[in-house]
Amino acid sequence: MLAGAAPLMKAAPKDAPTAPVSIAKCASYDEDVTAKLAAMFDQLGGLERIVRGKTVTIKLNLTGSPGLRFEGKPLGVTHYTHPKLVGATAHLMGRAGAKRIRFVESAWATGGPLEEYLLDSGWNVRALLAAAPGVEFENTNNLGKGKRYSRFKVPGGGYIYPAYDLNHAFEETDVFVSMAKLKNHETCGVTLSMKNCFGNTPASIYGDNAGVDEPNENPTSGRGEIFHAGNRQPPKSAPQEIDPKSNRHAGYRVPHIVADLIAARPLDLEIIDGIESMAGGEGPWIRGPLRLVQPGVLVAGTNPVTTDAVATAVMGYDPRAQKGTAPFRTCDNTMLLAEGHGVGTTDLNRIEVAGVPIAQALYRYEA
Amino acid sequence: MILALLLTLAAPSDWVPARWHWLETKTLELLSGSPVNCLLVDWNAQQKAQAQAFAAAAGERGIATLAVIRPGDNVVEAARGAISAKLTGIVLEGDFPAGAAERVKDGLADSKAPVIELPMRASMKLGSNAPIIGSTQGVWPGIQVLEDGAAKAGPSGSPWINTNSGFLRAARAFGDHVVWIGNLPPPGTVVTAEGYLEAIGDAAMTGARWIVALDDGFARRLHDGEAAAIKDWQRIVQQLRFYEDRRDWRAFRPAGKLAVVQGVNDGALLSGGILDMILSRHTPVRAVPPERLRAEALAGASMAVDVDASSLTPEQREVLKTFTRSGGTLLTAPPGWKDAAPAKPDRITLDEKELKRLDDIWHDMQALIGRRNLGARLFNVSSMLSNLLESSDGKQILVHLVNYSNYPVEAVTVHFLGDFKSARLYTPEGGEKKLEVYKVDEGTGVDIEQVNVSATLRLE
Repeated sequence: MLAGAAPLMKAAPKDAPTAPVSIAKCASYDEDVTAKLAAMFDQLGGLERIVRGKTVTIKLNLTGSPGLRFEGKPLGVTHYTHPKLVGATAHLMGRAGAKRIRFVESAWATGGPLEEYLLDSGWNVRALLAAAPGVEFENTNNLGKGKRYSRFKVPGGGYIYPAYDLNHAFEETDVFVSMAKLKNHETCGVTLSMKNCFGNTPASIYGDNAGVDEPNENPTSGRGEIFHAGNRQPPKSAPQEIDPKSNRHAGYRVPHIVADLIAARPLDLEIIDGIESMAGGEGPWIRGPLRLVQPGVLVAGTNPVTTDAVATAVMGYDPRAQKGTAPFRTCDNTMLLAEGHGVGTTDLNRIEVAGVPIAQALYRYEA
Repeated sequence: MILALLLTLAAPSDWVPARWHWLETKTLELLSGSPVNCLLVDWNAQQKAQAQAFAAAAGERGIATLAVIRPGDNVVEAARGAISAKLTGIVLEGDFPAGAAERVKDGLADSKAPVIELPMRASMKLGSNAPIIGSTQGVWPGIQVLEDGAAKAGPSGSPWINTNSGFLRAARAFGDHVVWIGNLPPPGTVVTAEGYLEAIGDAAMTGARWIVALDDGFARRLHDGEAAAIKDWQRIVQQLRFYEDRRDWRAFRPAGKLAVVQGVNDGALLSGGILDMILSRHTPVRAVPPERLRAEALAGASMAVDVDASSLTPEQREVLKTFTRSGGTLLTAPPGWKDAAPAKPDRITLDEKELKRLDDIWHDMQALIGRRNLGARLFNVSSMLSNLLESSDGKQILVHLVNYSNYPVEAVTVHFLGDFKSARLYTPEGGEKKLEVYKVDEGTGVDIEQVNVSATLRLE
């Protein structure tokens, strides 16, 4: 390759952690998703070893107002984690001996109970409660049921913030799981298990109407001003930005913040719902060529970088692509940034794929 | 003769009206099996013979015919001509000079033919003895779509639904009238079958009636017997029948613990105002005109909003004071809070400046209402509007749901205040179905599997 024709890509670090990733084909939510997931967990070494006797916190992807639908479709077949998959996961975790299963999400623009947000999303909360013993819900957009925020420091200091203040649920857990959707993302190129954790952050602290000194426990907005644009700092009670004069572009900031969050609050298990989804953006509010897609795949793993790298490859992209290359046309690659934090490897040659090979699961999100 | 004919027709309060494009008697076949029993035809003196034959044929079917007369010369003469052609009555549609309606009524006094007025909203004779009141002004119900095709989000954060339901509820609160709304499909727009079903449901869930009005293209296709048009017409008939087969529902009264005191001069007859904003949150609310502000109007309410305190009489203020003394919460809007009355009679919605001001009000309203259950809380209903009603003995409640999204919505949940033993779901396409009731913190929970356009829950 001629020098200057493309940015020279740094070689993948040889010592970055790796872990196996499982892929399964699943054409529809009407298939036996419980059996499919069970087989995938077995391929990862078994669910029991991860959850038995433990408190499990599962971060869902319920991005955007439940009132915003794409072509009138149920949220679970477009941009939310599908409730059937969530119920199956809870059932399997209960069967594997989980002591407590706490579903969390920083519900869009509200500090109200997550159960009500789920009802507004068309979920059957009663069925989910019955799926396993010890199922709970927590809206992590504010203090919720906790009395104080938990501070998570980024090992090595962080790219944007040295630490993040989060709802207590992220601390009071033994196992942390991200249940994401296989989607494009306007700001980050793709949104998978790691980008899902951008929603770990409470809008009470990082939302547009957060207080200057203290959190606002009645958040009613997203995180555009503080995280995306960097137009202001979080409340003084929370860790402040390392360099307030750093790049203010959302395509720089958001991937870096996500990588920080993944390093600060590590994931133990990732499940990515690619049965039905949408391409072209992360939700119906995106102005662009959105379309419904049916990749018919599930991806799961125990390292968020390896899991997302495989999922990105399933979407037809190079997980090590640099800024300027699809899907990271205007943003940095979150996976490479997390790799830089030492979380995991993006090198597909070093990732063991169980179940269906990437080539057979391939569903190109772009022609 | 007219009297004899009227004996064979339904009472005006039971008329189910439709604008009719034709005077061909064969078109009456379309009404076989339909609840439509009142046809509005544009009066044209030059077609008197045809109109007379049509009215006679309609009368044989128990269908009333009303001549629609609009402002112009010789209104009384036109009305006399229509009645002499044996049409059942007259509809005066539009903004007539003061006294015109009275002159028409006087001119027809011998015939006792009914005269129904459909003026601008601001000219409606609210609180009069007229059995039917109405207006020709209305928005076309549906989710407001921006130029780029996206749904417009309102201050409530959900897609904004254009509706006449707030206006119709306010109008019905003035008395026991039957209320008709006679707005037409938007010109230059393809109206889907769902659009007509939504227009019917938008009015019917408030106990009012939309005067069925087909767009010209649909009417032409229907007249030509096009299969798709006939199928759509059958859906419209099914939708009308859904509400008309259960007329007793119209006697149910608005329920819930929130009352909004708002008069005509405070914007009660505007669309998109405070009432519609509350309705967009599915908060049960009863409209209370100041003229009817008495202790019984607030019975059972725990919250009230007084949109314009300065417009109340001392007696009316005393009613609100008594309400607060007995534990009720009153939000009295400061000066400038009220919706502005329409500056022009042809204006029925708020302008951008007023909407902006309402946005500020809305925050205070939300703080007042919060997540409280004021009768029922509904979930997964962002594309819908609802109306909570109760029977006169308070033992039964109804929730009318209308979905404006043109797509079915699955998994709707309702949490009712209080304990109920049974629930039934009624839909135009599915008839009647028993639903499970279960306990929730607030009282009783019910899940609805799917709502297409209209659905009604009844709990006992």
